[in-house]
Amino acid sequence: MGVNKAALRKSNRPAKDDRFLISFVKLFLAEPGCKASQGWVVSRLPLYMAPLFLLFLAPTLLTACGDNAINSSGSPLALRKPYEDKVLRINLGTEPPGLDWHTSTDSTSFDVVSNLMVGLTQYTNDLEVKPSCAASWDVLDGGRRYLFHLRDGVTWTDGKPVTAYDFEFAWRRLLKPETAAQYAFFLYDIEGARDFNTGKIRDFSKVGLKAIDAKTFEVKLSKPAAYFIYLTAFCPTFPQRKDIVEQFGDRWTEPEHLVTNGPFKLAKWQHEYKIELDANEKFFEGRPALSKIKMFMVPEASTAFALYENNELDFVDNRSFSTPDVERYRSSPEYRNFPLLRAYYLAFNVSKKPFDDVRVRKAFAMAINRNVFPKILRRGERPTNSWIPPALGGDGCGLSFDVAAARRLLSEAGFPGGKGFPETKLLYPNREDVRLVVEATQDELKRNLGVKIDLVNQEWKVYLATTRKDPPQMFRDSWGADFPDPETFMNLFTTFNGNNHTRWHSQDYDNLIEQAEGEQDKEKRKALYQKADVMLCRDAVPIVPAYLATQNIMVKPWVKGIAVNPLDFQFFKTVEVGESNK
Amino acid sequence: MFSLIIRRILMSIPVLLIVASLTFALVRIVPGGPFDSEKSLPPEIVANLNAKYHLDKPVHEQYFLYIGRLCRGDLGVSYKYVNRTVNDILFDAFPVSCQLGIVALGLAVIFGVPLGAIAALNRGKRQDVLAMFLSTMGVSLPGFVIGAVLIYVFAIKLRILPVGLWESPWHVILPAVTLAFSPGAYLARLTRASVLEVVEKDWVRTARSKGLSEEKTIVRHILRNSLMPVVTVLGPLTAIVITGSFVVEYIFAIPGMGRFFITAVMNRDYDLILGTTMVFAVLLIVANMFVDIVYQWLDPRLRME
Repeated sequence: MGVNKAALRKSNRPAKDDRFLISFVKLFLAEPGCKASQGWVVSRLPLYMAPLFLLFLAPTLLTACGDNAINSSGSPLALRKPYEDKVLRINLGTEPPGLDWHTSTDSTSFDVVSNLMVGLTQYTNDLEVKPSCAASWDVLDGGRRYLFHLRDGVTWTDGKPVTAYDFEFAWRRLLKPETAAQYAFFLYDIEGARDFNTGKIRDFSKVGLKAIDAKTFEVKLSKPAAYFIYLTAFCPTFPQRKDIVEQFGDRWTEPEHLVTNGPFKLAKWQHEYKIELDANEKFFEGRPALSKIKMFMVPEASTAFALYENNELDFVDNRSFSTPDVERYRSSPEYRNFPLLRAYYLAFNVSKKPFDDVRVRKAFAMAINRNVFPKILRRGERPTNSWIPPALGGDGCGLSFDVAAARRLLSEAGFPGGKGFPETKLLYPNREDVRLVVEATQDELKRNLGVKIDLVNQEWKVYLATTRKDPPQMFRDSWGADFPDPETFMNLFTTFNGNNHTRWHSQDYDNLIEQAEGEQDKEKRKALYQKADVMLCRDAVPIVPAYLATQNIMVKPWVKGIAVNPLDFQFFKTVEVGESNK
Repeated sequence: MFSLIIRRILMSIPVLLIVASLTFALVRIVPGGPFDSEKSLPPEIVANLNAKYHLDKPVHEQYFLYIGRLCRGDLGVSYKYVNRTVNDILFDAFPVSCQLGIVALGLAVIFGVPLGAIAALNRGKRQDVLAMFLSTMGVSLPGFVIGAVLIYVFAIKLRILPVGLWESPWHVILPAVTLAFSPGAYLARLTRASVLEVVEKDWVRTARSKGLSEEKTIVRHILRNSLMPVVTVLGPLTAIVITGSFVVEYIFAIPGMGRFFITAVMNRDYDLILGTTMVFAVLLIVANMFVDIVYQWLDPRLRME
């Protein structure tokens, strides 16, 4: 059998290496050498177990005598100064998918980019656009041609001036098929841009974009588009440096390579953890008041909020709030609430029975009391029945809550008191707040119309695929504005918009929108959009607008100048942190 | 010994290939793709994206491309985190998880194994009841409850430890304890069962009757022999703990790799899903190989082969 007798013998001999273990075991024996049954002394066990005991018992004891004192103890953490001078500490929630403003599309990335960069124009917090890299611009040829005149003295962080060539390079890169930029379509109104992006033309000189000289940038549109100027304040259209992008390839956005022109510069990027921005002394509007911004990525809201309460974050928003936290702080001076241009709605698939009948859709729209949504979500949401938000000129033209009229319409459609109403599914993505909304909707419809609908939830990406391919009769959806103009909302329900999942289309509606896009007169434009809104929310009713979201923020008393833009951009260039503001 | 290691390495190649193929198939069967988002894109843009990431090619071509890259140690690129490769992402995140995992595993072994041994050697007494109560709690309480309680007590009420983040050694304590609870409790139960079995054995009676001191009996004849099942589970347990935990990283805001097991799937970040799976598979195989080596040290009978 080939027994290794030596090895066997060796293992039976007392090995030197277990002396340590033997002495360790002795610790637990009251009198070394006595029987196990007596030796393992009870009194030693709590000693050894003390840390574990503490972990379990402490919470019970503390909650028993617990109170709401948030700043009660005098431990070292509490003694520390609660803030760092001229440093703003915030929570991004998650890792920005990328800081290349051509390929990223999400609000987290833009939160960082919009403090690193400025474009031709920039937004104020009142949704106006004001000059930035461009000192002025001319709108020529009935809104088809834009000439931007660049400001002197705007420089990159490495000292080189920002020129029209940087814009030309950037917009060309945004449109190049190889870049595969998701937001390239924002430039589709430019002559030849769509064909260049799809590879139909390879000759860039056929695209209506040109740096005439270092200070003049020309853009030609294929049709007048009144909202075009807003796009020049939007992250994907910010300039880029040809030499940097080409030299460093995929790594050009890392802090050691990135060159920017905004109020801050990227100092450090610890992926999935923290981004640090330092003040840019060369910023053309002057050095910002902050010397540093620390952007942490704390995904769990309760942890982020605990960090805020422990003075380890100076500013938190929706990402760092649970609803009970909002309730608890609603009356605190640290709490504020801003309306956002983000609308939530219920949609019908009008190709499926019984929602091919407009009377059923109208009945549903009138049977849902939108005032329940802010009551259950409790973040100051604004109920709405029209699709254009009030901030962009919406006037509440949609169908309002009217149970009697809703019941009448439903019985006209052949379902008196909800009798004989076919099985109806309402699809929603798997998220807590959305679940609350659809449950409230289900409840309203049951109570007011006697109709029972079934709720179906799907994981986010599955839900997206379903709404795109074959949505059930009803689904919930949402839309956030890309720019502060009714166009961003109203274009959604045109026939060829990829985000119109309702299967509803109307030539009249499409015509109205196209007419509004080209209209230069502000008032006339507004009237056209309002007419389309009536068609959408009163006559055809493929959707039931529900409510507009808000941004809830908490700011520590030593921070001054925080404001939230309705597009949910947070600009920190005017923010101050320090003693004087206390 | 060497032949064992070489045999194990050779055996792992087909295993890894199967893991890669199955995962590859599964991620592509799941509905929804990496570029689906709330705002759907014009078809032209989707075509550009698919071309950039070779998703426009037939699936079998994508598969061979993937396996080819895998053989060269290239795990691909992330679709969600543009400009970052999967190798970059895991290279940043794994050391963090590993660091935290090793501390947690140490805690689990140091507390769990003796706890189980104490319980078994005092079967039916107060120590046993207490130890088993603790380990039942440890096994059944989910990480997010333990973590939340620990944060509430030590960070918010007592203010002696940080709430979260990953800045100093102090920041390791709470997450490591949270992470250690479940494996520690599991090890305790396992050790108890194993010790209970071993104390009945003839050789223990022999050791005692030949006059060996109690502690020597315990260390040399009881503990050593009852460690086999513990070592067996320690292998896979190590692989699991050092690749991070989604829950612990999430609630303590730690930049580890555990989160990618969940978020990569949610984002349909195909290469990142495959990358995390492959890294986990390799670690599991290596850990099991170590277990086999430790077996030989613990059990002389295995050395005969």
